[in-house]
Amino acid sequence: MSGSLTHILFEGASGYALFTVSMQEEIAAKSKQLQDSINDISIFSRMIQLASFLPFTSAAQALENANDVSEGVLNPHLKNLLNLIVPDVAGKGNKKQSGVLLGVTERGLAGAIQGELGIPCDTSERALELIRGVRLHQEKILIKGGFQKGDVAIAQLGLGHSYSRGKVKFNVNRSDNMIIQAISLSDQLDKDLNTFSMRVREWYGWHFPELYKLVPDAHQYALLAVLIGDRATLTEGSLEDMQAILDDDETRARNVLDAARASMGSDINEIDLINISNFAERVVKLAEYRKSLRRYLIEKMNVVAPNLSALIGETIAARLISHAGSLTNLAKYPASTVQILGAEKALFRALKTKGNTPKYGLIYHSTFIGRAGTKHKGRISRFLANKCSIACRIDCFSDVPTNKFGEALRAQVEERLNFFETGAPVSKNSDAIQKALTAIAADLGDDEDEDDDDEGDVKEDDVADAVKQIEKDQKSASASKAPLDPELAAIAGGLPTPSKKDKKEKKEKKEKRKSEAMDIDVKEESSKKDKKEKKEKKDKKDKEEKKDKEEKKDKKKKRKSEA
Amino acid sequence: MAFGERGGRGGARGGGRGGFGGGDRGGFGGGRGGGRGGFGGDRGGRGGGRGGGRGGFGGDRGGRGGARGGGRGGFGGDRGGRGGKAGLGRKGPGAVTLEPHKHAGVYIAKGKEHLLVTRNMTPGESVYGEKRISIASTNAEGEEEKIEYRVWNPFRSKLAAGILGGLDDIHIKPGAKVLYLGAASGSSVSHVSDIVGPEGVVYAVEFSHRPGRELIGMAKKRTNVVPIVDDARHPQKYRMLVQMVDVIFADVAQPDQARIISLNAHHFLKNGGAIVISIKANCIDSTAPAAQVFASEVNNMRKEGIKPKEQLTLEPYERDHAIVVGKYERHAGN
Repeated sequence: MSGSLTHILFEGASGYALFTVSMQEEIAAKSKQLQDSINDISIFSRMIQLASFLPFTSAAQALENANDVSEGVLNPHLKNLLNLIVPDVAGKGNKKQSGVLLGVTERGLAGAIQGELGIPCDTSERALELIRGVRLHQEKILIKGGFQKGDVAIAQLGLGHSYSRGKVKFNVNRSDNMIIQAISLSDQLDKDLNTFSMRVREWYGWHFPELYKLVPDAHQYALLAVLIGDRATLTEGSLEDMQAILDDDETRARNVLDAARASMGSDINEIDLINISNFAERVVKLAEYRKSLRRYLIEKMNVVAPNLSALIGETIAARLISHAGSLTNLAKYPASTVQILGAEKALFRALKTKGNTPKYGLIYHSTFIGRAGTKHKGRISRFLANKCSIACRIDCFSDVPTNKFGEALRAQVEERLNFFETGAPVSKNSDAIQKALTAIAADLGDDEDEDDDDEGDVKEDDVADAVKQIEKDQKSASASKAPLDPELAAIAGGLPTPSKKDKKEKKEKKEKRKSEAMDIDVKEESSKKDKKEKKEKKDKKDKEEKKDKEEKKDKKKKRKSEA
Repeated sequence: MAFGERGGRGGARGGGRGGFGGGDRGGFGGGRGGGRGGFGGDRGGRGGGRGGGRGGFGGDRGGRGGARGGGRGGFGGDRGGRGGKAGLGRKGPGAVTLEPHKHAGVYIAKGKEHLLVTRNMTPGESVYGEKRISIASTNAEGEEEKIEYRVWNPFRSKLAAGILGGLDDIHIKPGAKVLYLGAASGSSVSHVSDIVGPEGVVYAVEFSHRPGRELIGMAKKRTNVVPIVDDARHPQKYRMLVQMVDVIFADVAQPDQARIISLNAHHFLKNGGAIVISIKANCIDSTAPAAQVFASEVNNMRKEGIKPKEQLTLEPYERDHAIVVGKYERHAGN
């Protein structure tokens, strides 16, 4: 944009101000002279004149405008100001020819103004220089706009508070935070439960020392301590209850009864016993709570990061998210960072001493690494980290809630493990993702039909069927696949899929474009290998979009044939 | 400085270990100054050693280390706290005299030991559990009145460490407008707000929501603090909230901090204004020696039109940290 600035826009905490520019420096923008004249109010006030000041009428309006300005959106309020003030020489809609050039601080907003109003904008240094001047002298300059000294500071204070409160209140990572807290609490409970169980053992052990040898499991021990109470009162009658606690093992229950009769523990009075039982009950409750917390975490993970969970399990996935701070942060990490996440200490030590960097961090706890031979641990860790970073990017930026990608990636890791032993090649990323996409398409078909006949209850079974079917496919595809880990299998069986899936589906096209744009951002940060994989995936996504249309027609037929 | 020998190196070390959050910002000073507990007595020493943090100074604050550092830190902290209290053992306010520091708005309370203090803007309230001291003085009308001061712990605040380390000019003075990048939960900011007083303004920028919450809470009580929960990498996002400032203080601990600071300076810092930066060598390059990192950072700043005036390492309060003070000369750029 050539020509000289005619106007500058200044966004203040109390309103928008528009200035006309009468003098400006084109070349020596950074000369001492110019800086001095900007600093001097008497000279600066000759350089620009206040054309109009449009104050915010309420705090709510100010906040709304502050948010728009920060996002680079043209607020109607600002639009009004610009429409009114900027000279419209050649008639409406022809501002380009009016010779106006508006100086704006930020490019985003400048683009919006240019696009919506057709006013040419300039965001270069010369505009910034003048805006700096306005910011410096705003109190004095705006006195003409009906301002008093100190008003600016007050407006800033009020707006600063409401703006920051808004930021904290509408936190985008809300469900991530729930996961982070849940996994931390779950880890804490594990530790605490262990300590408490030890305490129950010690305490009740004075009364019934033999019980510990017979029932080494902490939870069962606590349950029994509550049930037995005073061991003198234990009779044949309670055998059945004990048996229920002890995995229906009759001999063990009888052993406990025998031991109770011949125990060398000291007698105990009632008050002490009440206290012991109280505590043991608490421990039992806590153990139950821990289980329910676990279920909550698993449910949550299957909503927030279904693919990542399917790939490495909910617990490790949650730990990864917790370590990164949020799912978005994790998705932005390159795979090499994901690989050693949690091993920072070892990494920095290695970097400092120029030794070997660690091979794995948190993902060490994945079963895949345990199953690989010593020689292959590092390689499988790298492979797994690559898949993890793909999975969490899909979770983060995709709007389709599915874990099919995770399962496909998991199958790939299984194949890779197999490769170390047999040398059978791993299926290509493109093939694996393609398979997942087909599965999703089939699944979506099922879903949509279902919503026609009833609202969602039966769905779980259907989804589970689909999951099982895919698992079968994958099993046949990979020559020897190890059984799914039991926790995962259980989840796969009762996978709760969000019931409004298909509504989202309709929006999908729009949003997918967005997510793709984000993919591109992420891609830049990822390693080369990932880039390739990403590209493939992107292609797939494009294909998927086209497919969706066709599939919607096909699915009804398919379902009938299945039935 | 009277403070120098106190915490000693042990303190700084303890800090390094203690903050097992390991985050860039040393987990709220979870362990900073752990060693100081030792001073108060045996028990305090233990608390500090375990990374509970804050052994001595403010005493009752031990819990904070726990909040971030996990359970164990918490326990240690508690003990350290108690030990510290016993150790401080000032015999009432009468025994303390006040002397102004060479920087306006900062004072030294000389009692049994010498403490860095600032005048409390909100008498009767501690921001982060720090000690308060009331000192009697005569006002303009010749009447005796009590003024409350808050103790400023150099192990928890890099600016305080810089002052005790002997910075010539911190540029933060009564009436100044300060842009504070990396405000965290606002513990240092509260002291800056004490210094600039009701005539000055502190724009406190913090990106993270969790400490941002506490920052807002602190700012509610101090009307000269404008809290801004946003990314300092994009100063234009909060341009509506900030006036031209006299000083930028930055404690952002990011690899690209020179860029962050210069961006903010371009938008908000007066020509000829000052920049005070704390540099944590580990955050920029953990493999290069600290001195080299400082030199390269100073070089980066010079390229952005920031003329370095003085540089100071924060030993013994922090390890591998430096404070650099510079002058922003816009016309000298390029």
